[in-house]
Amino acid sequence: MAEPRESHRWKWLLCAPALTILVLAASGPLLIVLVYSFLTPGNMGGVIWEFSTEGWFRVFFRRDIFDPADVSLNTAHLTILWRSVWLSLQTTVICAVLGFPTAWFIATRPANTRTVWLFLITIPFWTNLLIRTFAIQELIRNSGTINTLLIWAGVIDAPIQMLFSEFAILLGMAYVFLPLMVLPLYAAMDKLDFRLVEAGYDLYASRLQVLRHVILPLVKPGFIAGSILVFIPSIGAYVTPRVLGGGRTLMLGNLIDLQFGQGRNWPLGAALAITLLVIVVAALLFYLRTLNREEGPRHG
Amino acid sequence: MKDTRNSPEIEIAGLSKVFGAGASAFTALSDIDLTIAQGEFFTLLGPSGCGKTTLLRVIAGFEQPSDGSLRINAQEVAGKGPNARPVNTVFQNYALFPHMSVAQNIGFGLKMLGRARSEIDATVDEMLALVQMAHLADRKPAEISGGQQQRVALARALAPRPRVLLLDEPLSALDLKLRKGMQSELKRLQGETGITFVFVTHDQEEALTMSDRIAVMSEGRILQTGTPHEIYHRPRERFVADFIGDTNFLEVEVAEADGAAAQVKLPGGALHSARLPGGLRPGAGARVTVVIRPEQAQLVAPGQGVLAATVEKSVFFGTDTHVHLHLEGGAPFILRRQNTGAMPEPDPGSAVGLALAEGALQVVGD
Amino acid sequence: MAEATGRYAPADRTTVAKPRRRARNFDVRHLPGFGAVAIFTFFMLYAPILILVVFSFNAAPSQAQWGGFSLQWYEAAFNNRQVREVSIRSLWLALVASGIATTVATLAALGTTRVRRFPGQTMIYALINQPLMVPEIVTGVALLIFFAAIKVQTGYTGMGYLVAAHTAFCIPFAYLPIRARLETMDITLERAAADLYASPFQAFRHVTLPLLVPGIVAGFMLGFVISLDAVVITEFVKSAGQDTLPTYMLGQLRRNITPEMNAIATLFLALSLCIVTAFFLLTRKRG
Repeated sequence: MAEPRESHRWKWLLCAPALTILVLAASGPLLIVLVYSFLTPGNMGGVIWEFSTEGWFRVFFRRDIFDPADVSLNTAHLTILWRSVWLSLQTTVICAVLGFPTAWFIATRPANTRTVWLFLITIPFWTNLLIRTFAIQELIRNSGTINTLLIWAGVIDAPIQMLFSEFAILLGMAYVFLPLMVLPLYAAMDKLDFRLVEAGYDLYASRLQVLRHVILPLVKPGFIAGSILVFIPSIGAYVTPRVLGGGRTLMLGNLIDLQFGQGRNWPLGAALAITLLVIVVAALLFYLRTLNREEGPRHG
Repeated sequence: MKDTRNSPEIEIAGLSKVFGAGASAFTALSDIDLTIAQGEFFTLLGPSGCGKTTLLRVIAGFEQPSDGSLRINAQEVAGKGPNARPVNTVFQNYALFPHMSVAQNIGFGLKMLGRARSEIDATVDEMLALVQMAHLADRKPAEISGGQQQRVALARALAPRPRVLLLDEPLSALDLKLRKGMQSELKRLQGETGITFVFVTHDQEEALTMSDRIAVMSEGRILQTGTPHEIYHRPRERFVADFIGDTNFLEVEVAEADGAAAQVKLPGGALHSARLPGGLRPGAGARVTVVIRPEQAQLVAPGQGVLAATVEKSVFFGTDTHVHLHLEGGAPFILRRQNTGAMPEPDPGSAVGLALAEGALQVVGD
Repeated sequence: MAEATGRYAPADRTTVAKPRRRARNFDVRHLPGFGAVAIFTFFMLYAPILILVVFSFNAAPSQAQWGGFSLQWYEAAFNNRQVREVSIRSLWLALVASGIATTVATLAALGTTRVRRFPGQTMIYALINQPLMVPEIVTGVALLIFFAAIKVQTGYTGMGYLVAAHTAFCIPFAYLPIRARLETMDITLERAAADLYASPFQAFRHVTLPLLVPGIVAGFMLGFVISLDAVVITEFVKSAGQDTLPTYMLGQLRRNITPEMNAIATLFLALSLCIVTAFFLLTRKRG
């Protein structure tokens, strides 16, 4: 283990197999997407190797079919973009509102039962996302459990159309991504020094004041991490809007998919994919900046 | 074993260790010369960061020296890894393998050396008996107490019968009572095995009670090497005197110097003889620092003795009492008296005289 | 401050601050309403899954009515040749992909953990964690484009593409528990082994590897579950006739859904549950 004099070569050698696979089947292809977004679409999908910014242009604008010079904003795309962001933000808020008390509940259980509760939140985290989406679909279908129960109870006469709507997507995303909020929040609360909470009460704070002035500031990093963990898969969601939005209520992921399927416009699809990636990276950078700011002054 | 004693086990010459390079380089050890005899209980003593652990790790082979030579049993070992040296370490946190039983831990070294199964088993049994752990042979390290883990770590390091056993503050994790027990246990083991022990500690009392010889280290250097008695009574440098035991320092003027002894002028003008450390030859009139251990001064009636002082306060310690004084001229002085019950404690503010034992003054370098 | 709070046992404070509830301790961990929200959340998390499971045993072909207990949908699923085929393909793919991913991730973890920082380390981290951050749809599209080109060039349309895509996707999940395990491992244990005459390989074989096994197993199981779950990437990478269980289900969800889907989903859930339970027990034991 005499390290200082050794070169770094063996470290690279150990990493080489993993890096090769990752470059070939993950990172490398991303660069190709960037290249493709600047090419000309082929007639039957694919691309023609000819430089073009049309793909990027069409992300935001649309040309009149008969008069290519007549340019207007592509409201369909912008609507989907906005819906993706808006639904993701709503999902994050719902997860935070439900996730905070849940994480607190787990963190304040006695040590022996805490692991059980934690396990219960972990199970959905590791069970198939498609199956959980399917479970929601079964629940809110016209002939699903909720409508059946409501009709049986006489509350409604005809089933309420819940499936294939923004509401369905929101419900589904909040459902499948909730554990991603609870786990980092729990991790932050687990580290919380409860003597600080005691000190808060000792100095005459009410329950609400302790929550507002002691607990929330201390678990803020967990909040931020959880929000990012929920927001990122939400903005890139594909399965949930496909199953619960039913092809009418699209999100960005479905719009990208469309370009490689029926739309047959690969450069536009590539440009949309890069757009999605930019949003994700922006969210991550925002997260890192907040994290640094949080950690900076606390000890300073 | 006895007849080989005093022939050198470890010989270190001109050894230094520098971490990093350029502007951020840090010299952890500089120009270490040290010889440790066979069968010796040798202690590296010093405050944290003095380089004692680095020196131990260099001997063990975990760090390679930047310069100098290191011979174990007359073999140059610089450049060899820890698995190629007849040296075993008792780690500070024991580093017992958590996935192996006590017996497996103890047998690990012999297994790595490719010894026969029967020999390993026999040695493990012997070691278990030596550290009185035979009844816990099948336990995992997590299932035994801290003191027991300590014994296992010792047995594991002794099992391959190394020439040298290195102990890196092995007692620091134990509470006081266990520590006292383990100190005598270590001495017993060393006597029974005859193995050379190199012991690292920052606890001066531990060093004084256990060692054959001590090296006091500071800032990567060895300041003084000697028996506990020499280190305590004849410190060569102010740091050594200060680090070991309670000490009074006095600034005095040399009246005359003659070889290893000098006459110095104490505050108040009395002359007294003082020993000079080797290498220090101050001329007459030079200002030097002398050390006086608190138990080597005695309270006498005012006007008698060689120093005049005023009592500030007395602090009771059970077996003895520390009398805090101000010498004539203002220098503080602490004196220790055994509580035999015969003498009354002096009143604060009263004037007293101080008599010094013969050979109480030792001149130190700075 | 610590002294001031330490003097008050919670019980004392109750009598001081809230005399009317003399008997109960003032629980500093209590926040009103949180327990109710938490129970509601747990209910919401499990109710849909439980309903799905319950109706897989329904004799009637609809969710609208309960026709008595029956295993007919399980029978139908087992007799469905396509379901059998995609299930076996899914399991095979998950086994192969997570196997490769765990192996390369173990090597990478050994190369990047407990070593002095070296140039390029950040880039390696970024590469390894990239599949965690990039949305699956983007990776899927990227692989579609890349592999389509290779398919045209080589004519090869076998399972290799799916294996590569799944392996890359599993690597970060396999890497994380292995690295975590390595990081918490006391480096002095290997030093002790070296001190006791073990060669570097012996130290790895007798000390590092046995201690690393729980991390490796955990990494393998995470990778396995992740590969089983991966639907978007598979959807974009698969060639004709390479459906896995999730892509098969995704296709079926468009059609008329029979309780046969509930039965398949329930079996799938049971498998995941087994793996997650094993994972949980394995990682918990570490402490």
